[in-house]
Amino acid sequence: MLSTLQTLSPGVLLVILLGLVVALYLARHAAHQAINSLFRLIYSGFRFGSIAARKSAQRLHARNREVLLELGREQIEKDLEKEFFEINKFVQRDLGGYPQLQKQIQENITRIQDDYSNSTEVPQATPEWVDAVDAVAKMKNSDKTPAISVKVLEQIHSSAKQQHTENLAAYRQESAKRHSILKAMTPFWRKLAYSVDEVGGKLKEIVTRSQNIDKHMLKYKEILAATDSAERSLKASAITQFLIAALVIVVAVGGAFFNFHLIALPMSEMVGSVSRVAGVKVADLAALVIICLEITAGIFLLESLRITKLFPLISSMDDKVRRTIMIASAAVLLTLACTESALAFMRDQIAADLANLRASLAGVETSSHEGSAINVWIPMAANMILGFVLPLALTMVAIPLEYLLQTGRTVFGSLLEIFVNAIAVILRIFATAFKHLGKVVISLYDLFIALPLWVESLWQKREKNSTQRDDEFYNSAYDSAKSK
Amino acid sequence: MKTFALILLSCVLFVSCSSSEQEVAETSYAKGVYLLLDTSGTYTQELTKAQQLINYMLAMLEPGDTFAVARIDSGSFSEKDIVAKVVLDGRPSIANKQKREFATTIADFVKNVKSSDYTDISGGLLQGIEYLNEAKVGNKTIMIYSDLKEELPKGYVRDFDITLDGFKVQALNVTKLRADNENPQVYLDRVEHWALKVTEGGGSWTVINDLDKPEAIAL
Repeated sequence: MLSTLQTLSPGVLLVILLGLVVALYLARHAAHQAINSLFRLIYSGFRFGSIAARKSAQRLHARNREVLLELGREQIEKDLEKEFFEINKFVQRDLGGYPQLQKQIQENITRIQDDYSNSTEVPQATPEWVDAVDAVAKMKNSDKTPAISVKVLEQIHSSAKQQHTENLAAYRQESAKRHSILKAMTPFWRKLAYSVDEVGGKLKEIVTRSQNIDKHMLKYKEILAATDSAERSLKASAITQFLIAALVIVVAVGGAFFNFHLIALPMSEMVGSVSRVAGVKVADLAALVIICLEITAGIFLLESLRITKLFPLISSMDDKVRRTIMIASAAVLLTLACTESALAFMRDQIAADLANLRASLAGVETSSHEGSAINVWIPMAANMILGFVLPLALTMVAIPLEYLLQTGRTVFGSLLEIFVNAIAVILRIFATAFKHLGKVVISLYDLFIALPLWVESLWQKREKNSTQRDDEFYNSAYDSAKSK
Repeated sequence: MKTFALILLSCVLFVSCSSSEQEVAETSYAKGVYLLLDTSGTYTQELTKAQQLINYMLAMLEPGDTFAVARIDSGSFSEKDIVAKVVLDGRPSIANKQKREFATTIADFVKNVKSSDYTDISGGLLQGIEYLNEAKVGNKTIMIYSDLKEELPKGYVRDFDITLDGFKVQALNVTKLRADNENPQVYLDRVEHWALKVTEGGGSWTVINDLDKPEAIAL
């Protein structure tokens, strides 16, 4: 088309251009309508899409919020249940023995009271010789009496002294007795103090747990009220848990990959390495199946132990059935771990054989003592240990897997919400862009036919002027006729 | 119920298809190597190097692969010229045993080889094609350890087209003869003749003269 135009002379081209301009000018009104309709259609389409996407995002947000709050509610209920269970356990275990403890305390108190009453000091009786001294003092003084009085008083003095000595000895004896009673009270005091401390310590635990319950209840109320702060807190928690679980799963995949390489070669000795299914060696598939079986057995073990709840049916089973599943899973796991350990040993043997073959083919002599070298048996032992430990370690993957599945719904829901919102914004931008683009295209169209439009405007101006002149002429004629 | 029946039917069909194709799948990933050793004239001196190459290849081959070594003599289109052949077992321990036996056979052959009067490369090539086609391997390679100078006894006809679709032909250690040194064009024409013959037959052609780089021999 362009080459055909290039062959035409400038005169012909000018004529074609003028013809095109005239044609476009004549079709201006229809073309404007067509352009307007087209861009309005596109604008409406994008706008409709944007509104639909925004509504979807809103519905998605509502649904995500509902799911998040529901999951949060379930989690809090679980936590509360656990706290109450712990308190119940504590009450049964520790406070169940409280009546006995109370009895012990009362016994101790009774003993202490008895001992205390036994140790009270008995007041000494008034000496009997005081009345005698008083009588002697009241006697009439005579010549003979002083000598008698002195004698009597001396006698009284000696008696009083003797009595004092006896009383003092008796008093000391009594005091020693009271002290021994008081000394015997000490262990009972200690027991009593210990019992009281023990009760206080146990009550502290109850206080702590009740504080935890208060916190959980506060959260629970917020979730039930569906507050924004509860939603934000749950979302942040879900994202953190998701990231941590994903990280652990990546580590577990690394472990599974290493485990796979540990058993893939010896599996080829068992099932052969020639047969393939969909391009994958049967030996590799067998190794993968073993690893998957280990993970499955691990999941069932943790489910039956009620550590994870991927299958609610298992945790709600009868204890006897659950225990059977637990024992069976553990047995399968142990068998597979032992098998892997044996395979790891076999792998070492095959690798050594291959190394010997390559050395002999390369003409290198291998000495016999190399087989017992430390660098041979250490890798072999490490292989065997890893072969046994890795399957057991892989069982733990059920815990992060559960977290990943639980929080994945929230995280992917939020991501989808962001994505749909972004689509809504993009569609809105396109709608606005096309709305203005329609105006731009019409302006460009008019620019292309600017010459005829200019002529038209001149014509219109002239028409207007002539009309104005006619009006003025008729008005003046009318005015003059009126004045006449 | 209808959907369930459909799924069941699909499963049955899938299983039957996979079992019928299993045999093909087992061999299509396997490699097949047919090595032709030139035993004519002074080229027998080069066989020690060829033995090292065979040992290297034995180390590289995996269970399920096919490997055969044949001599090029006066009339090479014959099973009698196959010195050693093996289809490596799926179990690595058995495959290692087979490799050891193979290496011993080759060592004996190199020690006791007698040079032949003529060099029937075309016959050997044809024998290799036949052998590898029968082996039903996925990756077919024919290696020619020779100076590529063909000399046929009187009455032997080798003027025919060969079909080498899906074959990789590698010329190894193509030594230069005295005449080549006098006129290198002779050497170039000889190599070009074989390259043309192989590529026209549908195969790919490579010349590897530096055997110190074993990685050059990509199977």
